[in-house]
Amino acid sequence: MNDTWFQILGALPPLLVALSVIGLFVTLCIARHERLVYAMTVGGLNLALVATIALIPLGPVAVTPLYIVDFYTLFFWGVILVATLACAAFAMPYLSGFNDRREEFYILLATSALGAMSLVAARHFGSLFVGLEALSIPLYGMVAYTFRTRASLEAGFKYMILSGVASAFLLFGMALLYGATGSLAFTNLIPAGGYDADAGPWMLMGIGMMLVALTFKLSLVPFHVWTPDVYEGAPAPVATFLATVSKTAVFALLLRLFVSAPITDNAWLLTLVGVLALASMLIGNLLALRQDNLKRLLGYSSIAHLGYLLTTLVAGASLSIEAVAVYLATYVGTSLGAFGVVSLVSSPFAGKDAAHIDHFRGLYYKRPVLAVSMAIMMLSLAGIPLTMGFIGKFYILSVTMASGLWWLTGGVIVGSGIALFYYLRVMAILFMDRPAHAREPQLSGTGDNWAQTVVWLLAAATILMGIYPAPLIDLAAVAGITLGS
Amino acid sequence: MNELSMVYGMGLAALLFLLGFIGVVIRRNTLFVLMCLEIMINAAGLAFIVAGARWSSPDGNTMFILIIAVAAAEAAIGLGLLLQLQKRFRTIDIDAASEMHG
Amino acid sequence: MEPAVQHTVVIWPLILFLVAALGLVTVMLGLSYVLGGRHDNRLGNQPYESGIKPTGSARTKFSAKFYLVAIIFVLFDLEIVFIFSWAISARDLGWVGYEAFLTFLFDLTLGFAYAWKIGALDWSPRAPRQLRLDAIESNQQRNLPSEQTS
Repeated sequence: MNDTWFQILGALPPLLVALSVIGLFVTLCIARHERLVYAMTVGGLNLALVATIALIPLGPVAVTPLYIVDFYTLFFWGVILVATLACAAFAMPYLSGFNDRREEFYILLATSALGAMSLVAARHFGSLFVGLEALSIPLYGMVAYTFRTRASLEAGFKYMILSGVASAFLLFGMALLYGATGSLAFTNLIPAGGYDADAGPWMLMGIGMMLVALTFKLSLVPFHVWTPDVYEGAPAPVATFLATVSKTAVFALLLRLFVSAPITDNAWLLTLVGVLALASMLIGNLLALRQDNLKRLLGYSSIAHLGYLLTTLVAGASLSIEAVAVYLATYVGTSLGAFGVVSLVSSPFAGKDAAHIDHFRGLYYKRPVLAVSMAIMMLSLAGIPLTMGFIGKFYILSVTMASGLWWLTGGVIVGSGIALFYYLRVMAILFMDRPAHAREPQLSGTGDNWAQTVVWLLAAATILMGIYPAPLIDLAAVAGITLGS
Repeated sequence: MNELSMVYGMGLAALLFLLGFIGVVIRRNTLFVLMCLEIMINAAGLAFIVAGARWSSPDGNTMFILIIAVAAAEAAIGLGLLLQLQKRFRTIDIDAASEMHG
Repeated sequence: MEPAVQHTVVIWPLILFLVAALGLVTVMLGLSYVLGGRHDNRLGNQPYESGIKPTGSARTKFSAKFYLVAIIFVLFDLEIVFIFSWAISARDLGWVGYEAFLTFLFDLTLGFAYAWKIGALDWSPRAPRQLRLDAIESNQQRNLPSEQTS
């Protein structure tokens, strides 16, 4: 019984999120009250965040054979919860112009965050699958939430179909691996008759199909085609969630799979991953150059950023987990800020989002703080020193160089060089003369101040972490040490 | 169960999976796309059953139960979006309903 | 036993069955095709020969609201699978399993209550809420044309 309580303690953050989801349903069955629903969501997520921090001294806890709560898990739980909270803050003013039920959005958001948390802690195919679906299925609803806008509906439908195909690939790959090894746990994925038996091709096919599915979720080349469309069509807070929480959770899982599953030590497979990474950073950045829609631009930029991240999987150096933790944290922070500004400029919801670059021309003269925050985010995404994006990029470069992967190092440098053009272009536009037809950002009142505060905090954190990154690096180092135990 | 029978079972599952995949790729009618998606997911479920039978363990069946639950959820959302698609675009042809480019 | 031998032993009834089934169908269709008479004139192919002319399509559209009830039925029906898998091992799982089962059932009931509350189970032709939303939407379309910038 003692052991059971220990396990429940370890799983406390997701349990709190789950409880808040159930509480939201009960509330909605009794009465519809937007403020109450919002307060419950944010309260539940905050409690979970506190619980996550409180669990740090506890040490690794194995919660059933399905989950492991180690420092790695806790670190990414923290990232996911912070990002979800920011999305909730952006959603509040955004939805204030939406003429339909608004409360369900928060249920979907919390459920999706729960799925992401399950994914990060998974060490078994069962929990992997359940987590991925709990992350994705609410996302279909969220992408198509403003379904009266045709773009949103189209994006939702496309995302659902493609995501379903990816799920099927993942399942089939898992079935092949299970057929070859007889185990569903990551660490036991060893062929029954040794590597020389017929199990070899089965396993390679299995891990290949799983890789297809996960690279789709991470929108890496060649499975990136959906990304700009979905980002453009989705409501801005949902695009924020897609770019941050969804990516973080899936990447954390992919890294755990590569570190703990023995089958991934395959030279052929690692070369393939390296090629995917190189293609993603080059193609993502090149396609971003000719975008006039800021959401599409950020979508392509996220493809490139995930490409940079993927290099760490190939490197497999001892530093790589730490590098991934640092890079993902900085990427999530900056993406939240950039998408948050887009979301705030588009708030309150009135049909199509104000994502076209003309709406941002001269934003500085209307909302100076927002424009400066956006500029800082662009600098950080470009990896300019004194922002936290630089720290992340520095880690990636040091990892690739330490493991002698010069072609990937070159790719990261070339990609970053191309990226400078479009990031700086967005930055310059913020300070140009304002055209007459641009949509004026307006204060909607409800919750707008919170969302702005979140953006300011993120901008401040970007600069602070860029100057004094030691706390983040320490946390990431702890996350890196404990994985695999 | 021997190795050979798993090859056959997996072959059947792979065939179904491939049929579903081809359907998703070439079909333009979204209703058929959804159906083919279900075929793909259920083919993966069949693969789990076959693998579970090889190891005579209930893990494969457990996964299958999870899979059909998820497949039902996916179908429910897919049909809901399909109805809205028909209502907004007056068509369920996926190319006709595709407006975003670039 | 050698795998290949076992394989033939296991699989031949299936092949026989397949051949028999296909053969039966071929024989039935083929015989009637060869022996049966055919009328290829236009009137002969109508549903009512020399009767009233059929108009419209045989497919009737029926309201999509049935979809909602049907899908809710499917979703709840499916949860029986989980209840069954609990039931067959209820003794082994003991009280912990029972608690988990009750939690599951509670969540399920909650989903049902929610579906009821939002009116997904309403059988009336058009809920007042839907009418109101449509009115709002058509107003928006008339007054505020959505932006066509990009």
